[in-house]
Amino acid sequence: MRLTVNGIERELSTRPLDTLLNALREELGITSPKAGCQQGGCGACTVLIDGEPRRSCLTPLVAVDGATVTTVEALGEPGNLSPVQAAFYEQYGLQCGFCTPGFVLATTAMLERNANPSREQILEELVGHVCRCTGYVKIVAAVEAAARGDVSEAALEAGATGPSRREPEVLVPGSPA
Amino acid sequence: MTNLTNVLVPTSADDAAAAFGDGSGVTVVAGGTIVMPDIKLGRLCPERTLYLGRAGLDRIERSGGMCRIGAATPVSALVDGAPEPLATFAAHVGDREVRGQATIGGNLCAPATATFSRGDLQAPLLTLDARIRSAGSTGERTDSIEDFLAAGPDGRLVLEIEVDEPKRAASASVRRPHAHAYTILAVAAAETAAGIRVAIAGAGPRAVRATSVEQALADGASPEDAGQKALDDVDPQDDAIASGNYRRQVLPALVTRALGDLS
Amino acid sequence: MKAVGARLPRYDGVGHVTGRTRFVDDVRIPGTLWAKALRSPHPHAGIKRLDTSKAEKHPGVHAVITHKDVPRNVYGHLEALGVPADEPLLADDDVRYKGQPIAVVAAEDEATALEAVELIEVEFEEREPVFDIRKAYDADAKPFHQWGPAFPHFGPYASRRIRKGDVDDAFERADVIVQGVYRPQAIEQLPIEPQVGLSVPEPDGRLTIYSCTQAMYFSMGVVAAHLEWPLNKLKFVGGTVGGGFGGKVDTATETITALLALKANRPVKWRWTREEEFLCSSTRAPWHMELADAVTSDGWLLGRKMITLHDAGAYTRFSSYGVTKHSFHHTGAYTIPNLRFDGYVIYTNRSPTSAMRGFGVTSVSYAVEIHMNRIAETLGIDPLELRLKNANRIGDLTANRVRLSDPSTVPVVLAAADRIGYELGAEFKQMTSEPRSGDLLPDHLLTSVARDGGAETDGRGA
Ligand SMILES: Cc1cc2nc3c(=O)[nH]c(=O)nc-3n(C[C@H](O)[C@H](O)[C@H](O)COP(=O)(O)OP(=O)(O)OC[C@H]3O[C@@H](n4cnc5c(N)ncnc54)[C@H](O)[C@@H]3O)c2cc1C
Ligand code: FES
Ligand code: FES
Repeated sequence: MRLTVNGIERELSTRPLDTLLNALREELGITSPKAGCQQGGCGACTVLIDGEPRRSCLTPLVAVDGATVTTVEALGEPGNLSPVQAAFYEQYGLQCGFCTPGFVLATTAMLERNANPSREQILEELVGHVCRCTGYVKIVAAVEAAARGDVSEAALEAGATGPSRREPEVLVPGSPA
Repeated sequence: MTNLTNVLVPTSADDAAAAFGDGSGVTVVAGGTIVMPDIKLGRLCPERTLYLGRAGLDRIERSGGMCRIGAATPVSALVDGAPEPLATFAAHVGDREVRGQATIGGNLCAPATATFSRGDLQAPLLTLDARIRSAGSTGERTDSIEDFLAAGPDGRLVLEIEVDEPKRAASASVRRPHAHAYTILAVAAAETAAGIRVAIAGAGPRAVRATSVEQALADGASPEDAGQKALDDVDPQDDAIASGNYRRQVLPALVTRALGDLS
Repeated sequence: MKAVGARLPRYDGVGHVTGRTRFVDDVRIPGTLWAKALRSPHPHAGIKRLDTSKAEKHPGVHAVITHKDVPRNVYGHLEALGVPADEPLLADDDVRYKGQPIAVVAAEDEATALEAVELIEVEFEEREPVFDIRKAYDADAKPFHQWGPAFPHFGPYASRRIRKGDVDDAFERADVIVQGVYRPQAIEQLPIEPQVGLSVPEPDGRLTIYSCTQAMYFSMGVVAAHLEWPLNKLKFVGGTVGGGFGGKVDTATETITALLALKANRPVKWRWTREEEFLCSSTRAPWHMELADAVTSDGWLLGRKMITLHDAGAYTRFSSYGVTKHSFHHTGAYTIPNLRFDGYVIYTNRSPTSAMRGFGVTSVSYAVEIHMNRIAETLGIDPLELRLKNANRIGDLTANRVRLSDPSTVPVVLAAADRIGYELGAEFKQMTSEPRSGDLLPDHLLTSVARDGGAETDGRGA
């Protein structure tokens, strides 16, 4: 099986009927897709296959022979977040973080298709993603902020290390800090 | 014992039929949305697998009042590409990711579980008088959807599904307002050259035609009166998704609503 | 005060959005084996025979453990509080809930481990299961637990008891008695990260255990107790939890991976499936609560009698602790001077129950609040005004003898009324939490407020 994962072409030895999730995690050590349920029900294992969000736990490796697979590791990295990543970070669209890679990828793909989704469209498109921590309010706020392009410089650069590292800012003016 | 390496990947319908043979010892994987978890949990131990994704069975053709749908067509492609009420039912399957991967053939052949039914697309296919072209031990053959569902998919490889373009179509359903709701109960109705057909999903292990409702309509009954007949056709049971009692209460109203929309 | 009121970035947020956060399942140690368990298919059965020899010989299998491999198999979550142990790590001569682990295999990969589990031979003698707490408490019920139908270790009692004031007198004086039975059912906590643990034998003889537990030091103690090891030979790595909600308080995977890792001398990971999470992990308990309130026709709560049955499932775990918290809250946010409460921990053949958000308290809040509405309906008075009238106030004494200094019932009810546009009578709108006086200090509340008297509980332990 040959596939391009996060921009690098790979020859995989995982068996063709094993899941893409297993191949990514166990053979390639790409651990952002999570094994939340391994039966399609939670969205934690979501990856982009040729740009479309898919459940890697439902996908046999044979189905992605020759395909391009993108995980959240390739969207951006600490210090250089993608706008969607930065919005989830800045708007608190996450708590434990286990569902976050799936949400970030599905949101990224949705905004590619439709830069201006309505609230209903956001809910409909993300309905397959389960988050047990946030209650979704902040997640929807993060998606809306990303769609508006309402993402701060500081958030885009969050997580940078080294001399240019910015101190985290207190984001609400007038707070007692 | 499970063999995850022995996977056949035919690149044409003929190759697929040849690889399938009489189907013995072969597990078909189309979208894999049902098969893959079963393998992972050890509920299914395939020795030889036929992967359908590259057999060119993913096309929809509409012409001459007819629509031909390859068995491996993803459910998402039906949402914009198939006639009603199939398109609406397709839009209600699972979620965006699942629809992109799940196929119509897999839905038609989905085994019912002990706790709930699967295969929501069977109901609209019943109303559209679908013909199922399949390969197997006796070679290729075409069955009416009712015969196909009655016999079950064992030993058959579905290649193509052909439906009539309806004159009119409608549907009504109760779904749960959160992720991954299998339909609790759904009613499809359509008028084709074969007349008005009504089918019910979610009231048994697989979808069924509501022939008593159809007969009442033919006898001139109103949507309300015809709706009452639905309980002659099915006997809804309790399952993991809803109680039989709830379904019995709701079903006549759903049928009435669908029939009202049809006219 | 740098943090209060400020919008501080999450310290772990960047890791989460970039996929860099390392959860237990993401830890990669070369040579890691995968564990799978043989679990009981029956809710209640004797084990007549258990033979793991075929599984041990299966290619790719490195270790199989049963109860015989556990230095100290039976442990109790509340031993530190003097409650004896009752739960085996791996089933010995019987199984008491469906999904109870009997043997666990470590193999090269999950599929091989699953195959080996199928090769374990076990002979059961099925027994009648008990699922309903109320029926389990019937006089003619046949208890399966060595302690009988109910946990007997509430100090000298078989129930968590609260006795306050003179309940019989309150019921004598009541204009109306309002009764209700409330039965909330089990709930699975359902974190998106399933239970997972990874134990790594180190060259220095210690064990490193990667754990998703919500209770690190507690889990360390549990593992050390089962292994009969000193704590300093265990290194726990935790703190990154993919959701717990109480479901990761009990120690689920750590001890078993530790034993397998020691036996195989390889790192061992055990990751539960979603099915295991639903069927075998602890849930919030079902409860059966019976309330009777002595009330006056103008809406004073004079007294309450309450019996609670808490479903422990097959073993005790933290149940008695949950019932104790429950008992402390059985008057809700209201002051009731005369109380008689008995809370029983009942054993059934369900998977053991445990913590979930507000352990023991959510159930009683649910019952109390519905009961308040029922009282208001019975008396034909406003349900919010009933609450305000009986609300906790500064200086009131709770069921467990806490003198309240900052109760919040009144402001909370007023704020809720305001938000939903609910009209309250003028005297209620003005209400505060200030100490009782005048109309709000009727005779029957004097003992509950004025002196530290009248209340008696049987201690605060488990
Ligand atoms: C999260 C989630 C939500 C879901 N929601 C819904 C829903 O709302 N409604 C619904 O109906 N279903 C639902 N499903 C079930 C499933 O996704 C669909 O039924 C889907 O259409 C099955 O198609 P598939 O191609 O993925 O099937 P597969 O898993 O590939 O196959 C299913 C079965 O059909 C057989 N099969 C497949 N193709 C053929 C063929 N051409 N010939 C003969 N046999 C074949 C397979 O051998 C297997 O037994 C859901 C599944 C998941 C995971
Ligand atoms: S792990 Fe794939 S959807 Fe849950
Ligand atoms: S942040 Fe924990 S599940 Fe979503």
